[in-house]
Amino acid sequence: MAPSVLQQEFGLADLVDAKSLADVCRSFSELYRVGLKVFDAHGNKLVDVKVGNGDFCGYIWEKPQGRAQCIATVGRVKGEPVAGEAPVTFQCFSGCRYVVTTLSYQGDPLGRVVFGPFVPDDLVELPRTLTGIAPDFDPRRAGESMRLIRRAPQRTAEQVVRHFGETLEVLAFQGHKSLLTARLHIEAVQESYRELQEKNRVLEASLAKLRELDRMKSNFIGTMSHELRTPLTSVIGYSEMMLEGLGGPLTQEQKEYVSIIMEKGENLLQLITSILDITKIEAGRMRLVLSEIEVAQFVADAAATVLPQARKKKIALSCEVGRDLPRMVVDREKLRQALLNLLSNALKFTPPGGEIVVSAQAAPDDRIAIGVRDTGIGIPEEHLGRIFDVFYQVDGSNTREYGGAGLGLAIVKSFVEAHGGEVQVRSRPDHGAAFTLLLPREVPAATLRAGAPTPLPMAYAVSRS
Amino acid sequence: MAQINAEQREIAIKVVYYGPALSGKTTNLQQLFHRIDPKVRGRLMTLDTKDDRTLFFDLMPVFFRTGSGAKVKLKLFSVPGQVMHESTRRIVLQGADAVAFVADSRRSEAEVTRSYWDNMLANLEANGLDPRAIPMVVQLNKRDLPDVRAMDELADLRAGRTPFAVPAVAVRGEGVVETFHALLSLTYRNLDAALGLGRLWRVPEDEFLAQVFSHVDLRGTELERVGATP
Repeated sequence: MAPSVLQQEFGLADLVDAKSLADVCRSFSELYRVGLKVFDAHGNKLVDVKVGNGDFCGYIWEKPQGRAQCIATVGRVKGEPVAGEAPVTFQCFSGCRYVVTTLSYQGDPLGRVVFGPFVPDDLVELPRTLTGIAPDFDPRRAGESMRLIRRAPQRTAEQVVRHFGETLEVLAFQGHKSLLTARLHIEAVQESYRELQEKNRVLEASLAKLRELDRMKSNFIGTMSHELRTPLTSVIGYSEMMLEGLGGPLTQEQKEYVSIIMEKGENLLQLITSILDITKIEAGRMRLVLSEIEVAQFVADAAATVLPQARKKKIALSCEVGRDLPRMVVDREKLRQALLNLLSNALKFTPPGGEIVVSAQAAPDDRIAIGVRDTGIGIPEEHLGRIFDVFYQVDGSNTREYGGAGLGLAIVKSFVEAHGGEVQVRSRPDHGAAFTLLLPREVPAATLRAGAPTPLPMAYAVSRS
Repeated sequence: MAQINAEQREIAIKVVYYGPALSGKTTNLQQLFHRIDPKVRGRLMTLDTKDDRTLFFDLMPVFFRTGSGAKVKLKLFSVPGQVMHESTRRIVLQGADAVAFVADSRRSEAEVTRSYWDNMLANLEANGLDPRAIPMVVQLNKRDLPDVRAMDELADLRAGRTPFAVPAVAVRGEGVVETFHALLSLTYRNLDAALGLGRLWRVPEDEFLAQVFSHVDLRGTELERVGATP
């Protein structure tokens, strides 16, 4: 830390504003009609107000000996050590006088105040030290110009200079207070800033570390998913072969068991595929494979895929496709995945007797809106902002009713944004939810060039680790 | 360490009153201000807000010249107690030669007291000052209030040693001069060891303390009772 202003010593010029000091001195001089000089502790003159002695001193200054003695007197008044706090009188050879007081502040000398010259009220005639400075000295002229100088009792002069010294001490105190306040304020701000920067550095370092951990985690998940998929393919494949009777005939019960093994294996495979998709998205390795599709057919195919499940759950599934929809250029597999994810959510969250509608229609700005709306449980408003986060679950409790890994919507959003599109959602709890994929007819060149989408927001994976 | 001007035989010593908000730091300085002869002290510079809470610091200088011609300047500071003035506390602590930790004795304040104590130790270290070596007195203030800790209940206020503790009711002036005396006595010994105040500066401890406390109104204090100082 740099030395604080509290550790520093200040001179009179630092503490008192020069112009204010000059104003105060002038005002005092006018009041008493006596000159006033202020010097700092090093003898530098800060203020010099002359009153009445111009003619008198000017005449003496004309005589070489007078000039020399004048310089000597001024030197003594300005620099001769003054002990104690009481005013000290300096006698000028001209008969005039100066009263000097030391300015002290907090026990330290700050400078001195010189009050004068004035003519002591007991001076009767010009002293010989003055009249003898030159053979042609004119006492009458000197006497007349001396009358312009204030005649004052010694005691009054001492009182005035003491009083002035005290006033200056107050000014110095006020100045010191303002100076410390202002400078300390700046120091405190600087210190807080330094502290904040220090904390920022620490935070940045831990953020970088977390990112690295996150990257390692994604790599791990990617590798593990891949490793899991290989044996799982065998599990599914052999189950399928058994069902087809390639290993010999099966009883009805055995067939049922093997079907369950195969179905659960496929669920697992789907989950692993989703995880792989997410890790690819996070690693920025997602690439679109573009081809032309016929929207109405595309939507109908997706609906047909989930129709058996809808029937099984007694949910009405229908398609609403606008007329004369143009053809689109998309990554067919990814868009199909996105639409199936929405449909599978709709099926999951819509109770029996409900309704699901898949739709496709033209939207402004040469876009196509593909939508899935249901009459399910809906999404509370406070969750709407986060449902697209990876691993986010509206019901994150251990006792939740609906399964899932919290990846489906994150994948939908990434895939759609990779196409230069956006996902919109509207919902009312207990009245259903409506998701709309707004897609450009062709993926904009800029989106393709930009490559990887922005990293997915993590719901709680980081804080958990 | 004290600022020294060997050429002019001047030594400036910085004493800081530290502690939680409203523990009585400014009250200590105000009481000292009233009890110390204006001849040896300057004005009390206080920077407070409308609600009388210290904004930056309080400052009061005390100065004297010893028989051997050495000039001693004591600068008494208090830090602002409110939590938000953390950086100011650290700045005021810079270059401190001694610290008085003013604590609210009430048990209900123990947690806050402890956190400011730790904060002081951290800020001393941030200023390159060794909390275990710097002269330190704990003033257990507000002894007139109910449920105060015992005078030897200092386990939470340690810095490698149990600090010297002085009981006080600063608003009534009780224990204020005693705290100051104990602190200056420790400060002298520390500076004597480091700078040779007695040997090189020819300022013995009794004179050092007498130069200050002969100008302090000791009426009603423990010092008057034991006649510790002339």
